Parts: sequence; C-alpha cells; structure tokens
Amino acid sequence: VSGRIPANRRAAIVGFAHSRIQRRADQTLGEITLATVRDAVADAGLELSRVDGFVSATMLPAGGGHAIEDGTSIVTPRWLAEQLGVTPRYVAGYEGGGQLVGSVALAVEALDAGAADYVVLHRALHNPPGRYHGNPMTEVGGLPQWTAPQGYFSPMPMIGLTYNEYAQRYGAPREALAAVVVEARKNGSRLPWSYWYGKPLTRAEYLDAPLVADPICRLDCDIPVDGVAAFVLTRADRAQDLPHPPVYVAGHATAIPRVHRLPLHRPLDDVMAGGFDLVRLLWERSGVVRSDIDLPQAYDGFSPLVLLWLEVLGLCPVGEAHRVVLEGGIDSDRAGAIPVLSGGGALGSGRMHGVPQMLECYLQLSRRAGERQRRANAGVACHGFPHSGGAVVYSVEPT
Amino acid sequence: MAVEEPRVARPIPVPDDLSRPYWEAAARHELVLPRCAQCGALVLPPVVPCPGCGHGDPAYDFVAVSGRGHVQSWTRLRQAFLPGFEADLPFLLVDVQLDDAPGVRMIGRLLDGPDAPLRIGAAVSVGFEDIAPKVAVPAFRLART
Repeated sequence: VSGRIPANRRAAIVGFAHSRIQRRADQTLGEITLATVRDAVADAGLELSRVDGFVSATMLPAGGGHAIEDGTSIVTPRWLAEQLGVTPRYVAGYEGGGQLVGSVALAVEALDAGAADYVVLHRALHNPPGRYHGNPMTEVGGLPQWTAPQGYFSPMPMIGLTYNEYAQRYGAPREALAAVVVEARKNGSRLPWSYWYGKPLTRAEYLDAPLVADPICRLDCDIPVDGVAAFVLTRADRAQDLPHPPVYVAGHATAIPRVHRLPLHRPLDDVMAGGFDLVRLLWERSGVVRSDIDLPQAYDGFSPLVLLWLEVLGLCPVGEAHRVVLEGGIDSDRAGAIPVLSGGGALGSGRMHGVPQMLECYLQLSRRAGERQRRANAGVACHGFPHSGGAVVYSVEPT
Repeated sequence: MAVEEPRVARPIPVPDDLSRPYWEAAARHELVLPRCAQCGALVLPPVVPCPGCGHGDPAYDFVAVSGRGHVQSWTRLRQAFLPGFEADLPFLLVDVQLDDAPGVRMIGRLLDGPDAPLRIGAAVSVGFEDIAPKVAVPAFRLART
C-alpha cells in the first residue's frame, strides 16, 4: 500500500501568518496566536467562518518542570476554536517526536477524509519564566531515575553524546558546527520576523563561545522564544480558487525509534539507521526521488542535526557532511550549494520547532519569498532527530 | 565509613517495582540488570511491555553483570542542570556498551577526573558514587591496562 492520496484530493497550503519572534513577548501566547491565526485565514482569502478544522502539536520542550497552562504556555487547537467562537467539525492534536509533521499528517488526512474543508494548523512556542532546562528536583522517579542521578539531564549532554560519537568517528572539528550556525544566522538575519533579524554571527564569535557539553556550546542550540506560526490548508480542488499559488503536501513520514534506550539517549547508529528508514518511506509515499528535491530544509534545533539530515537525505555520503559544510557546501548564496538552511532554520529564527523549515518550503514554492526567491519546485521540511522526528515533502504540482 | 554529605544533595532515585532490585544492588556496589523472564533479554530501563518480546508480564529478574564495558561516546559537562553537581563541574559523562549485555548501553559519570584520556572503545568498569545513606549511583572508571 503506497498510502498516496489522489492528486485532486491532495492537501495544499493556501495561506500563512507568522508573528514576530521575541525572547519574551508582552502579550500572552494565546493573544499572539489569535492574531496570527486571523491573519493566516485572511491571507488565504477566507472568512473565519469557513474554517472547520483545527490541528496542532502543543509540546513545550522545556525540562524545568514549568506549569502548563492552555492559552499561556501552550495553545491547544481546542482553546483556539473556543476563543475564536467557531464550531469546528474537526479538532485534533499530535503528541510525540516531529510535532509539526504529525500536525501536517492530521490536516492532510482530515481533508482527504472530508472531515474538514479548511484546516488551520498552528504552532505556538513559549519561553517560560525561570530556567528553561534547569530543574530543582531533589528526588527522581519514573524513567528519569535511570539517568538523572548521574547528572545526565537536559538536551545539552544529550546532543553532546550523539555528536561526539560522530565527531570522534569521522574526525569532525568544531569549525564544522561553526559553519552550520553561521549559515543559519546569516539567513535568519534577513527575515524580518526572526529573533535574529539583522544579527548575523561570525565564525570567530561562534568559536569564542564557551562550551556547555563538549563539543556543544550554547550557540549550537536554538534560542527559546515566544512565537506563533499558522498555516491554512485545504484540498487541491478548493485550493485553485484562492489568491496564492497552492503548495501541495506530496507526502509525509514520521519515524518511531526502533531501539529501546535510556531517557535522552540517542546513539548515532540508532539515529542514522532510523533516519534512512524514514527517508526511504518518505520518497515512496511522496512519489519523488531525491534528485527531484531542490529545496531540502534540514532541522537544526541542534546544529549537529543538520549534518545528520544531510547524510540520511542522501545529499552527501555518511561521514562526509562535516566536510561539505566546511567547504561552503550549504552556503545558500552560492550557486550549486545545497541550501538546507536557506529559511534560517531554528538557529537563525528562534525555537520554532520545525516551523522555519515548513515556512521556507511554503514561501519558496508559492513564489512568495520576495528578494529571497529561489528557483525550486519540490522541498522537504525535516523536523527533529532523523530516527524519531519526521519529514514532509512539498511540491508546486499536485502530483 | 560515614558518607560525606555534599553541600547540596543530588537528586535521589525513588525506587519502584521495576527498579527496586537495581537500586538495592547499587547500594551494595553491585551492578545488576533487569532480564525479561519471558524472552531472556536484558532490558534497560525496564518497562512494560518488554521491548524485546512485547510480553505484557516481563516479570523481570535481576542478574549480576561484570560492569565492564567500552566507551561509545562521551561529553564533558560544564553546566549543571540539576542540584548537587555544581561543585563537580566540569565532569565527564560516558556512554558505555556493556561487555556482557549485548545492546545495552549505560550512561554514567567517569570518575577519573574531567581531563581523563578518552577515546572511542576505551575500556571501563563500573564504580559507584555514594550520594546519600544507602543510596549509590553507578558510574564508571577507566580500566587499568
């Protein structure tokens, strides 16, 4: 079973809006979300009353034990529908790795099933007060008892272990991560909504940053922010009548880790094997081959993930991505380079959890990228770790 | 010998039905691993159903292992995200494949200091940190060659 949806029933993105990305907003996350969703619906040329589906993933990726409050630290699709005063036919949320990919899947399947005709997909990210990952726990039960008593807690040592395994195995220097972060910040500095707008980073500034979990420094992690993005999706047969060129969801795939591990433990071989499985599934379901993709967008919540996505997507041989980035191979201003961070990524925008990758695919393929417009017809937006996240293929054509 | 109290306590593991024998053994400075009674797989951490065979009643027993293994990766932590580790910064965390537990990897502190010479494949053996009365946490030491 291919899982493919007929072309005339394919889901398409037909509008979007993005809030300013701020370190700490002076409005609540709920207020920002309401405004952003109204803007997205208007952008799609629709009245709010036409929207009958709401999907999202709400996970707040902080480890500091913060209280979760709907409308303040997260925004569920149900809260959104209530506040907008509409009576939707379909409300659903996704939980787990690759949050944005899971949300897209919900929207796509709801549209194909006829459960909704116009779906708003939003992602709202909050930077809670206090320490983001620092946790004052004095005792620890459940799964974290297997790692926290050793001091293994928070994503910093997590990505430190995964990436040091790569760096030691293939001889990757710290300069490789510098190349990734500098590229993301260069592109992010050109995005008016980005937290890093007008603030590129130099290689020297990167290399001067103190390490937190060797060889990882703070700049290898996207910065926590308050920010909201919203997209409107509908079916191909309806998308033709709307003002902007539709961007079609050609296929999506979500990875489920195969190997049972300790909490936060993501060994390199697990990540790569799961990533190759994911990508094989993605090409099958999308009906594309790698050479069709001219706008790959690597997930970069942690800079090393860009190297791993380059390799599992087949854009370079295993163990070679660090050389590719060092040689300018992902410089989006260079002809012939692989523009995996042309949308600024999370490192160049702020912690928007897969939104920058999806947004870049939408903006470029709908020809709405302005001065940044590239020639591209098919994109892939990656989210998370390759073995536990997911990816979506977007195209300008519904086939 | 009395355990020296750290100025700020580290998080204390709270044993449950799936972990109690592990922590009781650790307090005696012994490393044991949960083994599924249905399929015989060593499983860390123990969960229901068994990740090896899917059985809903793994009835884990706990078997002693040598505690010897080889380093697959490591990171030097320079910032504490939990209480009780500040005074130890920086310290090394190692990712260890255990020699007599195929596929089982443990993560622990390396007790040889922050500048211990490490390489992929370095041999280590388990050690224990006494962090409170009758509470010890598995860690690792470089094996003498």
